[in-house]
Amino acid sequence: MEAWNKEVFRGGSMIRFVKLHIMGVKIAFASRMVYRADFLLSSFITLLGDLIIPLITFLIYTSGASFPGWNIYEVLLIQGIFMISRGIANMFFFGTVWNTLSSVREGTFDLILLRPHSTLHMTMITAISCDDLGVIAGGILISGIALYNLPAPGIINILGFIFFFIVSLMVLVSFAIIMSATVFKWVGNSRVYEIFDAITIFGQYPATIFSKGFNILVTWVIPITMIAFIPASVLLGKAARGIYIAALSSVVLFVMSLVIWHLMQKKYTSVGG
Amino acid sequence: MAFNAEKIHQRRRIKVIIKVQNLKKTYKTYNRGNSFAESVKSLFHRKVINVNALKGIDFTIEKGELVALLGPNGAGKSTALKILTGVLYPTSGDVSVMGYVPWKERKKYVAHIGAVFGQKSQLIWDIPPLDSFCLNRAIYSIPNADFKANLDSMVEMLDVGSIIKKPTRQLSLGERMKCEFIMAILHKPKVVFLDEPTIGLDVIAKDSIRKFIQNMNSTGTTFILTTHDLGDVEQLAKRVIVINKGEIVFDDELKGLRRHIENRKIIRITTREPVSYFGEDGITMIRQISPYEAELGLDVSKMKINEFINMINMNGQIADISIREVPIEEVIKELYVK
Repeated sequence: MEAWNKEVFRGGSMIRFVKLHIMGVKIAFASRMVYRADFLLSSFITLLGDLIIPLITFLIYTSGASFPGWNIYEVLLIQGIFMISRGIANMFFFGTVWNTLSSVREGTFDLILLRPHSTLHMTMITAISCDDLGVIAGGILISGIALYNLPAPGIINILGFIFFFIVSLMVLVSFAIIMSATVFKWVGNSRVYEIFDAITIFGQYPATIFSKGFNILVTWVIPITMIAFIPASVLLGKAARGIYIAALSSVVLFVMSLVIWHLMQKKYTSVGG
Repeated sequence: MAFNAEKIHQRRRIKVIIKVQNLKKTYKTYNRGNSFAESVKSLFHRKVINVNALKGIDFTIEKGELVALLGPNGAGKSTALKILTGVLYPTSGDVSVMGYVPWKERKKYVAHIGAVFGQKSQLIWDIPPLDSFCLNRAIYSIPNADFKANLDSMVEMLDVGSIIKKPTRQLSLGERMKCEFIMAILHKPKVVFLDEPTIGLDVIAKDSIRKFIQNMNSTGTTFILTTHDLGDVEQLAKRVIVINKGEIVFDDELKGLRRHIENRKIIRITTREPVSYFGEDGITMIRQISPYEAELGLDVSKMKINEFINMINMNGQIADISIREVPIEEVIKELYVK
């Protein structure tokens, strides 16, 4: 047995996992740079689409209305963080949905199964997209403007923010995995993404504006507020009670998504030869 | 004596790299109909059809063999190949490849196999094949020195040095297929599965790919090949397994397949007078072109060629005659329609 085959035989190490991910990013950039004009245009269009909600917020506040208990910069910070999270998730995780959708329909998921590696990770690294770099940049800009106009956060708040931002990415990756897993059973279900889009819209506003019941639903049951509201409120020092329950629920969601992926993957039937 | 027999049996057991026992695969499909009304009806009720793709097949393959798995479309050969590669779960039965159960130990197992699918590309479309090879280096954790040595030798063998840095989308089908082979074999797998590897290729590309396969096979790599191109079979495989309707209908050396046809000849004959060939033992009509011209099948175990010529000369005087071997396609066709 070749030495490197022995290494693969032993299973993937964390270093190999990271190396593969870096390779995936490099390949995604190289592939996307082939169509430079299209890359720039689609980055710009994606950014414009994601700027609509912050623009509405701006119009609401400049017309004298507001979200009770939240000033314009605090709301913009939530929406800026939402853009960053979504941008990162779109870049690294959500391509998995389309990749799984097309590879299951066309039978090319066979090729993923032929790799000595986690099918989920292989699907992710071959679906990294750079189109959302514009959204990430836009999110950073909006968050920067908001923070510039708000009191500087303390170190504890910044550390708390980093922790909850990572949890936020975990929630997004969980959604991406669950959506991807469904297409093993419901082959060609391209509307699955729209359901997610419709649900996550609630993550762009301060959760305190929702009714108590709905707030519990989007914080503890399906932790959508974790995507932006909770990390932003921690950074602002306005964290509500129960955020650790939301973090726990996010971990549960993540574990559930992995279980669902593995169960659904067994339903893969390939295509006729 | 008994000791020797046991020794031979043991040696054979060691050499067996693939063992398939009573492998069955049944899957469900839905009959949705083809008209608009049937499509609407299928939204509420779909007729379930159970397809027995494999009905309990058994075979073993030894290390270093190059076996062709043949069968008509829908016979079950691709299903068998997908189960052997760990892509599909079987309904029942046992499979052991290099000691692994493919679908149970997928990650460990696939590190030691390679696969080329003629209709599914492993190369990344917009970037050069070299970048795809580098991705495989990372996936299989191939050390740089080994990667370079393997790549250099395969690039030379397949003569693709000038193309591996061009974007994949700019390559011809033949060039792409050569690169697919490099992708599949860079990590030096012990067993390689080939699913129609020469589909759509011109004769030069086919020849180059076949030589490459022969080269790899001569170094001990085991190959399982499914193809509809009998040129691949004749030039590469020593052994042929024919699957039809989910069952193995032939499993022997290619020579065995030829034995089916060694007594049969195809004769094209033109006579000066009209001749009737009906009722003659050993003669079958393939095609009556005109009252004077016909294409016939002759079983030489029943009627020798000189007897046949004498008989025709007596009845209608031969104007022209050509005798040729029955092509191997005919035997395969017979096995397919059984």
